[in-house]
Amino acid sequence: MDKSKILDSERDAPLFRPIYETGKGYYATGGVFLAIYLWSLYMYYTQVRSGLGVTGMNQPVTWGFYIVNFVFFIGISHAGTLISAILRLSKAEWRRPITRMAEVITAIVLAIGGLHPIIDLGRPDRMLSLLESGRLQSPLLWDVTSITAYFTASTVYLYLPMIPDIARIRDRGGKLKWLYTFMAWGWQGTEHQKRVLNRAINILMVMVIPIAVSVHTVISYIFSMTLQPGWHSTIFGPYFVAGAIFSGIAALLIVMIIFRKVFHFEDYLKQIHFQYLGTLLLIMSIVWFYFTFSEYLTGVFGGEPHEMNTILYKFTGPFAIFFWGMVFCNFVIPVTILSFRKLKTITGVLIASIAVVIGMWLERFIIVVPSLANPRMHLPLGIYIPTLVEWAMFAGGLSVFALGFMVFAKFFPLISIWEIEEGREHGIKEVEERIHSYLPGRELSSLKGEG
Amino acid sequence: MEIKRRDFLRLFGGISGALVLHGCGLDDVFDVPASLLEKAKNGSGLESWSNTICSLCPGGCGIQVRSIDGVPVYIRGNRVYPVNQGGMCPLGLNALHALYNPDRVKAPMRRSGDVGSGKWESVSWDDALRTVSEKLSGLRKEGKPHQVGFLGYEERGLMRDHISRFMRAYGSPNYYQFSLTQNDTVAYQLLQGHAQVPAPDLLNARLIVSFGANFLEAGYSPVYYTKLYSHHQERQTKYVQIESRMSLTGANADQWIPVRPGTYGALALGIAYVVIREELYDKEFVRDHTKGFEDWIDRGGKKHAGFKSFVLGNYYPERASEISGVPSATILELARQLGNTRPSLILGDGGAIANTNGTFALMAVHSLNALLGNFEREGGIYFINEPPFQKHPDVLEDAIAKAGNHQTPFAQSEDDSFPLTNFSIESFAKNVVAGRPYPLSVLFIYGGNPLFQTINHNDLANALEKIDLIVSFDSAINETSEYAHLILPDHMFLEKWGEVSNVPSVGFAHVGVQHPVVQPLHQTRHTGDVLIEIARHMGGAVGAAFPLNSYEEEIKFRMKGVYLSGEGAVASQGVRQLWLEYLQQRGWQIGRYASFEEFWDRLLENGGWWNPIRKKRNWASVFRTSSGKFEFYSQSLKASVDRLVDNSGGRQSLHNEDLVLNKLNISARGDGVFVPHHERVPYEDDLPLYLIPFHVLPNRDGQASNLPLMQEMFGYSANRYWSSWVEIHPETASEYDIADQAWVWVETSVGRVKVQAKLSHAIMPNVIAIPFGLGHTSSGRYAKGHGVNPHWILRNIYDPISGKPALEATKAGISLVI
Amino acid sequence: MPKWAMVFDLDKCTGCGACMAACKMENNVAIVDPEEAQAGRALFWMDMINAHEGEYPTVAIKRMPKPCFHCDNPPCTKVCPVRATYLNEDGLVAQIYHRCIGCRYCMAACPFTAKVFNWWDPRWLEGATTCFNPDVSLRMAGVVEKCSFCAHRLHHVNEVARVDDRALQDGEFMPACAENCPADAIYFGDLENKDSQVYKLSRSYRVSRVMEDLGVEPKVYYLARRTA
Ligand SMILES: Nc1nc2c(c(=O)[nH]1)N[C@H]1C(S)=C(S)[C@@H](COP(=O)(O)OP(=O)(O)OC[C@H]3O[C@@H](n4cnc5c(=O)[nH]c(N)nc54)[C@H](O)[C@@H]3O)O[C@H]1N2
Ligand SMILES: Nc1nc2c(c(=O)[nH]1)N[C@H]1C(S)=C(S)[C@@H](COP(=O)(O)OP(=O)(O)OC[C@H]3O[C@@H](n4cnc5c(=O)[nH]c(N)nc54)[C@H](O)[C@@H]3O)O[C@H]1N2
Ligand code: SF4
Ligand code: SF4
Ligand code: SF4
Ligand code: SF4
Ligand code: SF4
Ligand SMILES: [Mo]
Repeated sequence: MDKSKILDSERDAPLFRPIYETGKGYYATGGVFLAIYLWSLYMYYTQVRSGLGVTGMNQPVTWGFYIVNFVFFIGISHAGTLISAILRLSKAEWRRPITRMAEVITAIVLAIGGLHPIIDLGRPDRMLSLLESGRLQSPLLWDVTSITAYFTASTVYLYLPMIPDIARIRDRGGKLKWLYTFMAWGWQGTEHQKRVLNRAINILMVMVIPIAVSVHTVISYIFSMTLQPGWHSTIFGPYFVAGAIFSGIAALLIVMIIFRKVFHFEDYLKQIHFQYLGTLLLIMSIVWFYFTFSEYLTGVFGGEPHEMNTILYKFTGPFAIFFWGMVFCNFVIPVTILSFRKLKTITGVLIASIAVVIGMWLERFIIVVPSLANPRMHLPLGIYIPTLVEWAMFAGGLSVFALGFMVFAKFFPLISIWEIEEGREHGIKEVEERIHSYLPGRELSSLKGEG
Repeated sequence: MEIKRRDFLRLFGGISGALVLHGCGLDDVFDVPASLLEKAKNGSGLESWSNTICSLCPGGCGIQVRSIDGVPVYIRGNRVYPVNQGGMCPLGLNALHALYNPDRVKAPMRRSGDVGSGKWESVSWDDALRTVSEKLSGLRKEGKPHQVGFLGYEERGLMRDHISRFMRAYGSPNYYQFSLTQNDTVAYQLLQGHAQVPAPDLLNARLIVSFGANFLEAGYSPVYYTKLYSHHQERQTKYVQIESRMSLTGANADQWIPVRPGTYGALALGIAYVVIREELYDKEFVRDHTKGFEDWIDRGGKKHAGFKSFVLGNYYPERASEISGVPSATILELARQLGNTRPSLILGDGGAIANTNGTFALMAVHSLNALLGNFEREGGIYFINEPPFQKHPDVLEDAIAKAGNHQTPFAQSEDDSFPLTNFSIESFAKNVVAGRPYPLSVLFIYGGNPLFQTINHNDLANALEKIDLIVSFDSAINETSEYAHLILPDHMFLEKWGEVSNVPSVGFAHVGVQHPVVQPLHQTRHTGDVLIEIARHMGGAVGAAFPLNSYEEEIKFRMKGVYLSGEGAVASQGVRQLWLEYLQQRGWQIGRYASFEEFWDRLLENGGWWNPIRKKRNWASVFRTSSGKFEFYSQSLKASVDRLVDNSGGRQSLHNEDLVLNKLNISARGDGVFVPHHERVPYEDDLPLYLIPFHVLPNRDGQASNLPLMQEMFGYSANRYWSSWVEIHPETASEYDIADQAWVWVETSVGRVKVQAKLSHAIMPNVIAIPFGLGHTSSGRYAKGHGVNPHWILRNIYDPISGKPALEATKAGISLVI
Repeated sequence: MPKWAMVFDLDKCTGCGACMAACKMENNVAIVDPEEAQAGRALFWMDMINAHEGEYPTVAIKRMPKPCFHCDNPPCTKVCPVRATYLNEDGLVAQIYHRCIGCRYCMAACPFTAKVFNWWDPRWLEGATTCFNPDVSLRMAGVVEKCSFCAHRLHHVNEVARVDDRALQDGEFMPACAENCPADAIYFGDLENKDSQVYKLSRSYRVSRVMEDLGVEPKVYYLARRTA
């Protein structure tokens, strides 16, 4: 039978299509990213061979791109699990077509981000010392722990809701049947299975939120646990988490817009999704501004000399262009675009999101480097110019991200099919009932049961 | 053999150390030499310490070398050695890298290509020595022994005597020492009648005013001075430093007085004005021990104006201030402090004398010491006696040698460019090029790197190219020895016998004995021994001048005199100056040794001998002028000028005198010529900035340039590494839109160099300063190609009295590199 | 338990840099390439702080040698994930080179920029590899190092004292920098020993520690310069 025919006949055909149809563009794009990735691998090899000297780091700027990108990528990873869990938890019906993508972002980016501290190690060969002689006192170990937990939770959280969809693909037959059979874990769609699955998702959903929050809080602790000016701040935890969600939403929006275009998901990802997420982005932009403002205001108001050194370094010094660029990207652009209905088109949202992603990267850079470049001791200011190797690792990270998505799209639907169906079948009724329950009048039997 | 507990422990320490080395995860990434690992695994690691003397600079510090299994691994200061008392400078601490330097000349070499081609072939010692002795013998046969020159650097004491002896016996008057004392001390000669550098009593003075003497960083013995300086707080000494750029000494002084380059003589005289006017000077000393202070009448009944009249007539503070750029209030205050604080001490050196008027400037500075009556008195300045070395009988010159020795020496030939000095590298180079008064056939070069150090690179290079045979004893191929035809490498100081005695300006007589702490690593030979061998090769009277078989025996022979004199003591723990004086007063002697051998062993063990007790000198030995006094009016200068005038046709015509004085860059006339006064420096006034070179501690003269650690530390005081910079006042910088770290061109009438700017408030506006020591074009892999040599762009201009390069007489422009 | 401490008398210290060189030689500290040094990768366990104060002509250059302060409450050791840097029983902040994973967290955490990192495999003056101090292990690429207070010398004198069956004397344990200072500006000793010179000096009215308000309890004291 002709596969495309089947597809055509099916209701959610566009969601399956990417798995079965591979265009030239796919190979071309994949090839480019693969090449970049291989190049970055080679560059890493040179680094391992000759030492971290190949980077632009030095004394006192002992951390550079790797740590910046570590924080950045882990921040992006909050797109997924956290956002999707919050939306699920709040029973936002419009979430259905986006949760999968969000969760995929998390899993891929977390893997990339989690590798960065290892890339940054002077002696990656001794990584296992962390197991042998790890000391829980070090925030770095808290980090290892929480990232591992988050990675585990979020991959499971990605996987579980995929089971019914995998079963469907299995049932269609075709390539790699054994894999789908294995991964579908005997899913037959019985009521019992559905109940168990829902229960599992619900538990994970609740668990994953504190883990996600902890991840970025702990990352902020890496900095704020030291006494360094510009780092030793109590609001770093929430500031980092807010920033993470902020950049996560932006990344999610970008991914959604790209796939909407590439895989023709217009029917699934509608204007309304971008409106809602855009509003969320706007809120986060304001929250971000609030944190940034508080952070710097307290610093400037206190006027502690060492603190002021770093602050002035950012405000008016060599980092001014990055600092004000960050404010522009993270606040001015998104607020301008997203506050006006007219500008809040999909293109508008895309621009705002790209700005935010760039802005959040700059924020990480602005946090990591200037504090190190301004040591408390009377030393010459540090300089830091990243080298090709560091750029390569950054480009490699981005390529892995793209490749990850491309590969995922080849095997699994990017939008949760069964959840869409569920939405069609039960969602509407449920929402109606829920809305009724908000209103004065009769009690709903189902809710009574839960109460 | 009984193993003492200590030894066992050392053994143990060595082993545990070795284990650390081996067990520290030295995986493939680090290439530990196999031999070292072998040693670490197997060696017992026996530790030993031996004492010797550092001679990387003339400072003469006593050092202790730690060896493991005979391999020197660490150097520290020798606590009991009186000069440095355990202290070290960065350079000395790095001496092992000079020992193990990969660019050492490892065996005799003959140049087989052009100069600078780097083509050398090795020759055997026998062949090399034969070549040299045959050439020397040949010249003797032709009756031209005087055509052999020997250019040393600043060897003192026994090595200088040894070389002199060789040249005397051979028959040449042309033994010169490049650098240092000869040129620097002409002013002392003119005022005191001898050129001995005085030793300042920094410990007992209460106020010390230094005119450009950067003694903590670049003094004759920086460590010795630092030791003395370190007591300034408990002794309540105040230090005032006068210099255009704040040096390390300036930074540590209580007061820094910036002065315009080339004007420090005027400043000193301005101070003298106040001291004289307010009658703050030591009247008794001035009356009894100086000449030419008051106006005086000579035998012919002619009236002469004295120093006092000159100063009071010309150097009122406002004028001194106008010349030097130092506010007159500062001059007044400093002068009054000097006059009212006793003992107060004046030092002059460095930048002060590095100019065309340097001799007069140092005379003016030194005159302040006379006004304050500082000679031979506590908190003042002393002259130190030579150690009582045993003397060799005089050399018996044969007829050829006699004739040779009577020839006019090179540096004083017809070309009277520096008529008052024995040697200047400038006139030496010029006369060699011109073959005046005779050609130079053979030149020995011992130590030193004049081609890098001097400012007239071209003349000297031309001169070197004209010489038939240049034999260098250098242990490295540097800018100068590139020109050698033959290199007969000397040992490095840790491998050889040597002696460092009476470092100038150190306040007591002392002898440090160097002995090999390690067997020579390469096929090198001691230059002292080589000279003996060459002399023996030639035989006859020349050979007979060296009855001893080696330089080691030479040192031993001469130290016997010290032993026999019974003076002083072998340096040892707890023997401090006061203690020695106490004993001496009671007629006791420390250090009674059963035999010379015992004395000798103790000497080697402890590093040296010293005699801190100064005998009261009679004034005739303090001032060896014809008047027996300190001469404000220098009769010897007068005599020299008269002689020159006579030579140029006599006094009949006033014109002749003018000619002579102009040539000496003296604008004063009459009696004013012979008293300390200020002469204008012929600056090129169309250029806006004064350019001065300066020294940094890790690499003062450039000899440390092939030591990577010293290169790394070169700019430690400015947070720069391996690179040159130019210091510039922010005000001046802003005139040229120059920001800190910007690359700039510094351009003089000679040329230009590219350096990075360093803005600093510690330098006068309109003065810029570049450190000296980098910019090597040879001298080894770590030296070559880093930074710039400010001498490249200095004018070829000298102090015509002393022949010293005028390093601060160049003006420059500066512009951003675009 | 001893509390080893160092006192710099800034009245005596001239800023000559001998301590920097002594440390390099004693501790087999590598010398990096010129470009590397200029890029801020020179390895100095003892560094020199050069501060210009005031304006011409009343300017002062203040020089201050800076080793590791061996903080008693060291922020650097707390953050190390593998205990490759720790406060040992002698009160010294030690580095274990073969355990260090090179995360450089301790460097970022040290308020005094006292640590340095081996960005490459150390390279040596060709030919000078023979003069390594056998008591001090060599470091390899990718690990952090810093002033150890010459801990290897402590091992040695401790052994000597143990064999002689006596207690350590004041002044017996002397690091290389203190031993060679031409101004005798560096004092070293045990703060727990009330007779030691460092103890007395640490009570001086002139004494201060760098950024005492941070509470990291540096064990390096500076005696302030008195102005004349
Ligand atoms: N570490 C180390 N120490 C050394 C040496 C070494 O190679 N290494 N070399 C030794 C030798 S060979 C010698 S001869 C001595 C030399 O010892 P010094 O002669 O004391 O040393 P310089 O460096 O020549 O001193 C120059 C000083 O004079 C100042 N100055 C410059 N121009 C003027 C001016 O016009 N007026 C005034 N008032 N001051 C001015 C400069 O700022 C500078 O501080 O050092 C010895 N010490
Ligand atoms: N700009 C400027 N120029 C100056 C001065 C200045 O202050 N400023 N100072 C002048 C003064 S005071 C001096 S002293 C001179 C110093 O000038 P030099 O005496 O020329 O000193 P270095 O350049 O240090 O050269 C020392 C050379 O001796 C060699 N050498 C080292 N050890 C030994 C050894 O044991 N045996 C032998 N045979 N050779 C050895 C080394 O290879 C090195 O090349 O410079 C003079 N030139
Ligand atoms: S001052 Fe001179 S003699 Fe003393 S240690 Fe330094 S280089 Fe050696
Ligand atoms: S060695 Fe002594 S005088 Fe020199 S910089 Fe170090 S502490 Fe100061
Ligand atoms: S000075 Fe820095 S490296 Fe040394 S103990 Fe303190 S925090 Fe750690
Ligand atoms: S760099 Fe080494 S010593 Fe420093 S924190 Fe990381 S593992 Fe610990
Ligand atoms: S105590 Fe030892 S390790 Fe520390 S700076 Fe001094 S010499 Fe170096
Ligand atoms: Mo000299």
